[in-house]
Amino acid sequence: MLAYTLKRLFAGVVTVWFIATATFIAMHQVPGDPLMNDKAVSAEIRANLEAKYGLDKPVTEQYFIFLGNMLRGDFGISFTQQNRRVNDIIRDHFPISATLGLLAIFFAATGGVLWGALTAIYRNRLPDIVIMFLVILGISVPSFVFAALGQLFLVNLNSLFGQSIIPVAGWGTFWHMLMPSMVLGLGTMALLTRLMRSSMLEVVNEDYIKTARAKGLSPTRIFFKHQLRNAILPVITVLGPQIAAITTGGFVVELVFAIPGLGRYFVQAVQQLDYTVIMGTTVFYGAFLVMMVIIVDILYGFIDPRVRLS
Amino acid sequence: MDTILSVEGLEVEFATYGGTVKAVRGVSFDVTRGETLAIVGESGCGKSVTVQSLMGLIPMPPGEITGGTATLNGKNILNLPPAEANKFRGVEVGMIFQDPMSSLNPTMTIGDQIAETLKVHRGKSDQEAFKLAVELLERTHIPEASKRAKQYPFEFSGGMLQRAMIAQSLACNPAILIADEPTTALDVTIQAQILELMLELQRTENMSIILITHDLAVVARMADRVAVMYAGQVIESGTVDDIFYRSSHPYTLGLKEAMPSNTDDRDKSLSPILGSPPDLFKPPVGCGYCARCPYAMAVCAEHLPPTTTISESHEARCWLHHPTAPDIEELHQLDDQNAG
Amino acid sequence: MSLFEPTAADFEPLARQEKAEQITRPSLSYWQDAWVRLKKNTRAIISLGIIVLLGLFTMIGPLLWSVNPALQNLNQVSQAPSWAKSAVVIAPYQSWDGIRLDNFTSPDQTFTSLPEPTGFSTPDTPTTQRVRLAWDQVPGADGYNVYRNNHAPRDFNDLGLPLGSTYGDELSYEDRLSLEPREYYYSLVPTDGYDEYEVYSQLILTPVLALTPDEAVERGLITDTHEVNIGDLVTIEFHPLGTDYLGRDMLARLMEGARVSLFIGIVAPFLFVLVGIIYGGFAGYFGGRVDGLLMRFAEFVVALPFLLFMILFKIAFGIGPGESGIMPMLLALVLLSWPSTARLVRGQVLQIREEGYIEAARLLGAKDHYLVLRHIIPNTMGVILVTLTFAVPAAIFTEAFLSFIGMGVAPPTPSWGSMCNEGVKTMLSHPHELIFPALLISITVLAFNLLGDGLTEALDSKMRSRD
Repeated sequence: MLAYTLKRLFAGVVTVWFIATATFIAMHQVPGDPLMNDKAVSAEIRANLEAKYGLDKPVTEQYFIFLGNMLRGDFGISFTQQNRRVNDIIRDHFPISATLGLLAIFFAATGGVLWGALTAIYRNRLPDIVIMFLVILGISVPSFVFAALGQLFLVNLNSLFGQSIIPVAGWGTFWHMLMPSMVLGLGTMALLTRLMRSSMLEVVNEDYIKTARAKGLSPTRIFFKHQLRNAILPVITVLGPQIAAITTGGFVVELVFAIPGLGRYFVQAVQQLDYTVIMGTTVFYGAFLVMMVIIVDILYGFIDPRVRLS
Repeated sequence: MDTILSVEGLEVEFATYGGTVKAVRGVSFDVTRGETLAIVGESGCGKSVTVQSLMGLIPMPPGEITGGTATLNGKNILNLPPAEANKFRGVEVGMIFQDPMSSLNPTMTIGDQIAETLKVHRGKSDQEAFKLAVELLERTHIPEASKRAKQYPFEFSGGMLQRAMIAQSLACNPAILIADEPTTALDVTIQAQILELMLELQRTENMSIILITHDLAVVARMADRVAVMYAGQVIESGTVDDIFYRSSHPYTLGLKEAMPSNTDDRDKSLSPILGSPPDLFKPPVGCGYCARCPYAMAVCAEHLPPTTTISESHEARCWLHHPTAPDIEELHQLDDQNAG
Repeated sequence: MSLFEPTAADFEPLARQEKAEQITRPSLSYWQDAWVRLKKNTRAIISLGIIVLLGLFTMIGPLLWSVNPALQNLNQVSQAPSWAKSAVVIAPYQSWDGIRLDNFTSPDQTFTSLPEPTGFSTPDTPTTQRVRLAWDQVPGADGYNVYRNNHAPRDFNDLGLPLGSTYGDELSYEDRLSLEPREYYYSLVPTDGYDEYEVYSQLILTPVLALTPDEAVERGLITDTHEVNIGDLVTIEFHPLGTDYLGRDMLARLMEGARVSLFIGIVAPFLFVLVGIIYGGFAGYFGGRVDGLLMRFAEFVVALPFLLFMILFKIAFGIGPGESGIMPMLLALVLLSWPSTARLVRGQVLQIREEGYIEAARLLGAKDHYLVLRHIIPNTMGVILVTLTFAVPAAIFTEAFLSFIGMGVAPPTPSWGSMCNEGVKTMLSHPHELIFPALLISITVLAFNLLGDGLTEALDSKMRSRD
């Protein structure tokens, strides 16, 4: 297990290097000199940047300076905000995005497992048909529509009570987080429900369920001890990539609900062509996602003995 | 005779998109203490459905028990709600299946799975149940049982898993062990070991075995009595000698012809039974074997043959045993042999 | 049965009819069989129909509906959907004195309750220029509040927009607040001068779409005010789905947007699936070290944070002035999306290579190129078709998503996503600007998803043997 973890971590480091390189190449393709942009840079920052990145030096040398800085965890200084370090920007805004994302994953995973199990139990009966219809809807409606609808719902809810029950936008309390994270998790929840349902239906037909019944176990015990645990396994395997999808999907939700997360900041940076922020955020997000996938894979190993012991 | 299980006129149907399949059409048999009853037949003849419906294991719907009775130690066991059925499942009747690889939960240790039965039915504590599970594994001759109990099914070989399955089914000292093709998925050498183990445990526990198989060699080795099933019906039943030496149904004869033998006529080629079993969507009005039977008569196609008692232990369902029926040489030869 | 006593005749040997085994099922090719199965799946067939309709909407639509989608009309900003094709010409607005009681004395006291107002009505035809309301005096009331709602009020707290208050002697109100030719629910509540009594009466009416001659000239419907008389009908611009925040026709823009969204949604998957097939087929066919190297690279590309790199690539390719930004987005999609197909195709090729029938064909002397053309490619086509079907909604989503956060196609080029982006800003007051593009995205994605499900079932060989 330790060897496996180390191997995965090493592969992760290589992947992050690839992401950093791809980011560097992509950003150097942007037409024009990064510093000659109309979003004018102050002379002070320009001097700092030229010194730091050696923008007059050949591309290969710039690349190694960039890699060196990344390795030290130094993402540089913002182009548009005087003297604000990219590290500070990430430190200020990422926790908000991460909280939102984790809450969304929590909603999606619990909801997906719950609904998926329910539809499997009520297979082809009314609850199954209703939930599966909603699932198809959840997969087919874009997240920003859900975000807009969610906000509309809050506006109506608050006007119905004549006071602000749940805040419509912004960040701060749990009530601020509730609607955005549910909206964000909805698509993934639909996907996981579908997966959980087919997984449950597959497990029901497994021979070991028949064995459990022949042993005289109660249906409840069979459901929890034998069926659920085995059916959840495939759901966990897709959780890693889904965390990635949710974190980046957070952009739209942050935009609609006016949440000061890193996603919204990234969109803003792109609009202003703030090079250091774009590069720093991309590499940081990439590393974060690689890390999440590794963590989920290792956790999976603890749950499935077949993986843990091989 | 000490009858433990008595099945009378069992009928099972399955509703499918294509119509209703009459999988079991009036099956009766008794099981007495300490004996082995083998139920023999080709695939799809209803032998597995018969025992699974007794255990309440067929999915309902689409399955449905439409008739008959089954009494275990004087109590009805058909169509019980799960809570009632669980009073005898795993307690009075243990069951093992064809494929041990897929019949155990892959994410639970072997020991936990055996202990689970004891915890549920005997109210044992976790440690106590696990200790008993290890003892059960030892009884089924699994080496290093205490270590093996902590392992998962994927760490076991097929033969070891079937031993573990047997250990699990024996946890509550059942009166009957139902073995649904227990050796079909195993290597020939492992097969022999498993059968040997079952015989040994039967002697020590004084338990009855219902053995489902399509392998006549296994029957000859294990069974005291045999029921031959065809198209959802028992067409011949009797002691193992009745079936092998005094076969009284053309189908049983056909099965024997199709079986290799190492005694006489080693140069004789094996003769298969031509054709295939009838479609149980529309079961035939007459004898199910009529279409494949070399001795078929006009009556066979139109009327279900009655059960004829041949000897005290031996019954067969065939028109050839009717007094008016023509004499068939093969059956006669056998009769002569029996007499001689 | 026991009553039946067979006779000797019954024991005659059965005359056997030799029935040769017949193959009753007609033999169908792989694709014929798949089509037969797909036809049985109602949902998939309806989805296929919807996709065909969407295609017609995009291709034929602009021919039938030749309104310029880029034409702005600031006089008709954010109009609600309407089927009106003409408007009545009315005289320019003249002020109204209303109805007043001459001898009114204030009750100077508050009653516990008052009866419902009576005679709540319009003295003349309500038009979109103004709606005049009048009512009978409620004895004991010292004033009235007038409300307007877009739906039937649920209860007293749901009367809608408060339009205004009148004093006890004023028994009329004139509403000139952005009226549209639609159904309104007016409510009248008597007050004691300050607080409302909890009774109201209701009036449902639909104002007539009306224009003054001056307005008609201003909108370019007529050239001179003398061309029309009061009471005439003039033909107005027809916006069946309303207009957007710049007064552009929604229907025309949705058609134009469909071109962009469906172009990206269909062309991008075709391209990246093609790249994936070549890449994955190459890796799978050669196997060994080449395969390992190629697949390692594919894994790296998969690890890139998708949306961030979509944005990054898009700005890297750059959008010049006057460009729509469709091509950069297409390119970015292809660059980032091919690995999933490549992995799938490689897996299929590796699996099929080991199948018994390939071995059998090889033993019969089949050459490599024959095996690839006759066996490997046809056997991967099913999986590829399913991938393609599911890739379309994913690509449409990506486009919509990027355009929504303002990183997609550049304005003024419309796409469904960018229209949603514009619509969400006016969501509360003019929901139609968000609803129509959002609905089209959802229907398209739904149709492709259901078709994909249907295809998966129809092509799945495991399901095939089941009946």
